[in-house]
Amino acid sequence: MGRVVRRTGFAIILLLTVSALTFGAMNLLGDPLFNILGPAAADTTPAGVERIEAARAEYHLDDPLPVRYLRWLGDLVQGDLGVQFSSAGQPPVADLVVERLPRTAVLLVLAQLMATVIAIPWALLAAPRVDSWFDRLSTVSTFLVVALPNFALGVLLKYVFAIRLGWFPQTYTADAPLPDRFHQLLLPALTIALPAAAVYQRLLRDDLVSTLQEEFILMARSKGLSRARILFRHALRPSLFSFVTVFGLTTGALIGGSLVVENIFRIPGLGSAIVEAVVREDFPVVLAIVVVVASVFIVVNFVVDAVYAVIDPRIRR
Amino acid sequence: MTSTDTGTVTVTEVGASTPDPGTRLGRLFWVSVAWIVIVTVAAALAPWLPIDDPDAIGGDSGLDTALTAPSWNAWFGTDTLARDVFARTVHGARVSLVVGLVAIVLGLAVGGTLGILAGYVRGAFDRVVTFLFVVLLSFPSLVLAILITSLLDRGLVTIAVTLGVLGIAPVGRVARSATIQYAERDFVRAARMIGSSHRRIIVRELLPNVAAPMGSLALLGMALAIVAEGGLAFLGLSVSEGSTWGKLILDGSQTQTLTDAPWVAFAPIAMLFMTVLALNLAGDRLRRLGDVRTSAI
Repeated sequence: MGRVVRRTGFAIILLLTVSALTFGAMNLLGDPLFNILGPAAADTTPAGVERIEAARAEYHLDDPLPVRYLRWLGDLVQGDLGVQFSSAGQPPVADLVVERLPRTAVLLVLAQLMATVIAIPWALLAAPRVDSWFDRLSTVSTFLVVALPNFALGVLLKYVFAIRLGWFPQTYTADAPLPDRFHQLLLPALTIALPAAAVYQRLLRDDLVSTLQEEFILMARSKGLSRARILFRHALRPSLFSFVTVFGLTTGALIGGSLVVENIFRIPGLGSAIVEAVVREDFPVVLAIVVVVASVFIVVNFVVDAVYAVIDPRIRR
Repeated sequence: MTSTDTGTVTVTEVGASTPDPGTRLGRLFWVSVAWIVIVTVAAALAPWLPIDDPDAIGGDSGLDTALTAPSWNAWFGTDTLARDVFARTVHGARVSLVVGLVAIVLGLAVGGTLGILAGYVRGAFDRVVTFLFVVLLSFPSLVLAILITSLLDRGLVTIAVTLGVLGIAPVGRVARSATIQYAERDFVRAARMIGSSHRRIIVRELLPNVAAPMGSLALLGMALAIVAEGGLAFLGLSVSEGSTWGKLILDGSQTQTLTDAPWVAFAPIAMLFMTVLALNLAGDRLRRLGDVRTSAI
């Protein structure tokens, strides 16, 4: 129980640090006033100065940074992420995030599922046949796939499967019926999943190979258990530890990947939202998305850590 | 982003077929190094090579038409503005490689120094540095890059430094754990006993040993930095001036261009792929060479 409390406390400290750093960087390096008013922030006429003063008062820009951070954090906890500086403040940032986040989330979950579904059987096939042609081919292909960055892979897959073969649509339409939208997400999800699957396969294969040399496997084999039963019931679980850890860590890379891939397949998720916001220098939107995404990543790793305790009885206390 | 190099295969541990694992780098390593050298030299000498001006519309002759397929005249074809894709790809390597190089040098210098000091000094300093690494790693790396580049300008230096910041935590962690391992070894204790200064122990005893894992990390990290630049390009956040592989691929990936003239995207993709592959292979080889478990003790 002490472990859970400690890990939870650490995750919360991490969330606070990450959000404070982001908020601080945004306010110190950027110029919020300029972001709100645009070029009018440099207006020195009496009318201009009045507008500047009004904006300062409205957004509490005269308060010290920690006070502003706490106010922002308080609003955040209540689900208020402020107003967009551009587009006349509509919709509120929270609504924008609520609209865009699910698409990115579905894309990510789908990608992780695909990666796992590809990697586990692949590793189970390769590991008992160390140095066979299949194993060698697997290793070579994981190297090739990992060397192909997600945006390049996305462009290739889009060309082959969407443009040439026409099996998948080239872009995403937000108001299409659910099965269609799912179909539209498959290709982008595969783009994100393939490199992850390659990483998982290598890792899992290595761990399986060393597990298969353990004595309890020899024991199971001498009991006359079938090959499949040994692999699934005896070897797989103790080989999952580093896979689970890396699964959590890889989520970060996949979040980055999905932001990029969204822009290739025109999926209006967080990735395209952040690109639009950066172009318009819309500081509350960038801030909100960065904090949301970093929080998701921290939470995922927290959960992974908990899962780790479930599959490895040795670290339970 | 270091997660990608945790999964590398160590065949040598299991019934190795090579007679002396870890001592020979193998043919693949030297092929990779050769490719990296060729790309680097071509990029460095690009303005003086007998290739078209990358920005000349219609190539040097001015007669090429837009979106012509690869031919003897234009090896990789021409793009929407009738510019020579081969010349653009070679020139694009310049910015991509510089960004990768600066990023990894910065990551090694800052991350390596912090990691070695933390691993050697331990105590409160170690805890602060470790927490800093955890915080840096809590941002998905591309998100951190978006944060920095959206706040600063998009000059070459800013992008390179941003990607370098991404390398600090992963490099630092490796340096720290390697230092901790070696700081307990007898030769370090001996150095301490004969009264060597801390500075001397770090520079003369620890650094040469920690440098081995860092060398392979540098190659893998450079590949990651080049890839990250491409990711930023797709988010519209890459360097504002000049072309990079990422920006070239982005140009070629517009649906119309990709349909009519896939070579505009495929040529820089191929170069990027081969270079990242070469860096990964060479880095992996070096890592295996320096791996204490697999090299004969």
